[in-house]
Amino acid sequence: MRIGEIIETGTTGFVAESLELNRPPALGSLVKVEVGEGGCVYGVVSHGTTAGLDPGRRAVRRSTAEVYDGAIYDEHPELRHTLRTEFSVLLVGCVEDGAIRQHLPAQPPPLHYSVHQCTEEEVRAFSERLYYLRLLLAAPGEAPSEQLLAAHVRQAYRQRGQDREWLERAARGIAALLKHDYERLMTVLYAIEPE
Amino acid sequence: MGYNWLSGTRQRGTRNEEIGLPLKLGPISQQVDRMAASFVADEHRALLREARQLLHAVDAEELRAKVRDRREKYPWLVAIPVHTLSQTFSPPLPPADFSVVGSDGSSIHPDRHSPLRYYVINTSHAVLTYGRHPNADLDSEGQLYFEDDDLYVLSGQKSIPIEGERLGVKMQIAELQAALKAAQSATDPMVALRDGTLILWQLQNEEREVREEFLGQFLRCLDGFRAASVPVIGYISYPGSHDVANALRVSLCRDDPSDCEHCSLSEEQQVLCDFLSRAWDRQLFEELLEEGRRSDVFESTSDILKKYESHHIQFLYLNVGGEVVRIEAPQWVMRDGGMLDLVHALVCDQCQRSPDYPPYPPALQEAHEQAVITTAEGRLVEELVERSLAERGIVYARSAKDRSKRRRAV
Repeated sequence: MRIGEIIETGTTGFVAESLELNRPPALGSLVKVEVGEGGCVYGVVSHGTTAGLDPGRRAVRRSTAEVYDGAIYDEHPELRHTLRTEFSVLLVGCVEDGAIRQHLPAQPPPLHYSVHQCTEEEVRAFSERLYYLRLLLAAPGEAPSEQLLAAHVRQAYRQRGQDREWLERAARGIAALLKHDYERLMTVLYAIEPE
Repeated sequence: MGYNWLSGTRQRGTRNEEIGLPLKLGPISQQVDRMAASFVADEHRALLREARQLLHAVDAEELRAKVRDRREKYPWLVAIPVHTLSQTFSPPLPPADFSVVGSDGSSIHPDRHSPLRYYVINTSHAVLTYGRHPNADLDSEGQLYFEDDDLYVLSGQKSIPIEGERLGVKMQIAELQAALKAAQSATDPMVALRDGTLILWQLQNEEREVREEFLGQFLRCLDGFRAASVPVIGYISYPGSHDVANALRVSLCRDDPSDCEHCSLSEEQQVLCDFLSRAWDRQLFEELLEEGRRSDVFESTSDILKKYESHHIQFLYLNVGGEVVRIEAPQWVMRDGGMLDLVHALVCDQCQRSPDYPPYPPALQEAHEQAVITTAEGRLVEELVERSLAERGIVYARSAKDRSKRRRAV
């Protein structure tokens, strides 16, 4: 499913404009960009914002006693055109020669290309190996990396059909990565909180 | 020695440029103080009160007769009250579903330092639909004009260049055309708003050919609105017009209005008349109009309107909350009770939806945002021209004066 279009791109990640206002993809969810024949890059959603399209125009309060929340958008239909939702994505892998690789792609995805939400099968296939969690943990994103990592694990666990075995594997992997930093490890594990 | 605007002292070694102020503000700030003091002086307030009383006291019928009976033209622009001078009206409720069409424009003027002559007009529209199916359609359309027919109007042997005020008028026409086009796909009932006046007074002093060509296009556009039964209005924020104040001067005047030397009014009335010559209409209506209420309709007597035929422009004042604005519309809008009510209701509704205070209609705000040509975009057009010429082996040579302004070497 197409969810956005790339408006800024680089070696480690990209920024996309969401097709739906106020609804960026979930934090930590896996997305992909199809590039060329059979080529594809994978990324994890690391941040989302909604603000005025023109950086010079800040949003102002619109609510009244009668009109608030969703009704504001009906009373001010221009808002859907003057606001935009953006999300940032950290690159975590790609498909090269038909195989999934968990490292930064050789090229950043092209500007203006479509961003797709990954299907459950794609999430399952990509997250089978867990080397990419290192990229997430080391990423200098806007959200704390522990929260991002935990959000991704929650998302993937659900999309893999509440795969308990995978969750335990992921938790062990994270524990190994953070074995020298107990506080950070606990922050991640508390934030995962599976049902 | 320079002036420190923060401490108000002169400092040795501080250059104005260093604090980004090439304008020496010292003397100006004292003058600003004097100006502000005179504006709020008791005398000013008392005269304004008297002027407002006069607005209530003057008999509209007598005033109309006085203006009509005078053979020569008044030396001032005088508004003629269509019904009354001081009656006010509360805003009707807007319909459940409606739309508002706003249009605006901006331009890149012909650059006399450039070897090529061209100009750009960027027009925009904002169609905002309210009610059960809220929607917004915001867009702009730019056009480069470079053919002889676009650049000049032929008048006998003369080629009159389209630039300055003439380009301004051409843009006003383009904005109105953009509004008419946008209105064709908007949902009824609707009102079309244009920022600024509908009175093309600049054409009065133009050559006949220029006037006829431009006015013809403008009036054909108004024909289009009337044929579609879409009320079209000019929205003037913070209007600087004096037409109604001048009408009050006419009511005071007992002599020849073009000969103030031999005035037979009492000294007090002469002071009032003098005050009215400088008072703005919006000041007269500020107290009279409560928020949302409008004045009665007035007819403008601008010379150019004699050529507007059935589209003669009338106007009214409306307190949109925090500001009295002037609304202009062709007489077929003002005379149609339903259309006039719709205009009143929708302008008030637009202003209630504005996040600003004083408010400004969102349809005009968004149209403006779409129309703006930024300095960077202007430069981009210039670069496109430059590149296109270079591809044909022509080096773009700007005038020496322009280059010196851009480089500013010392």
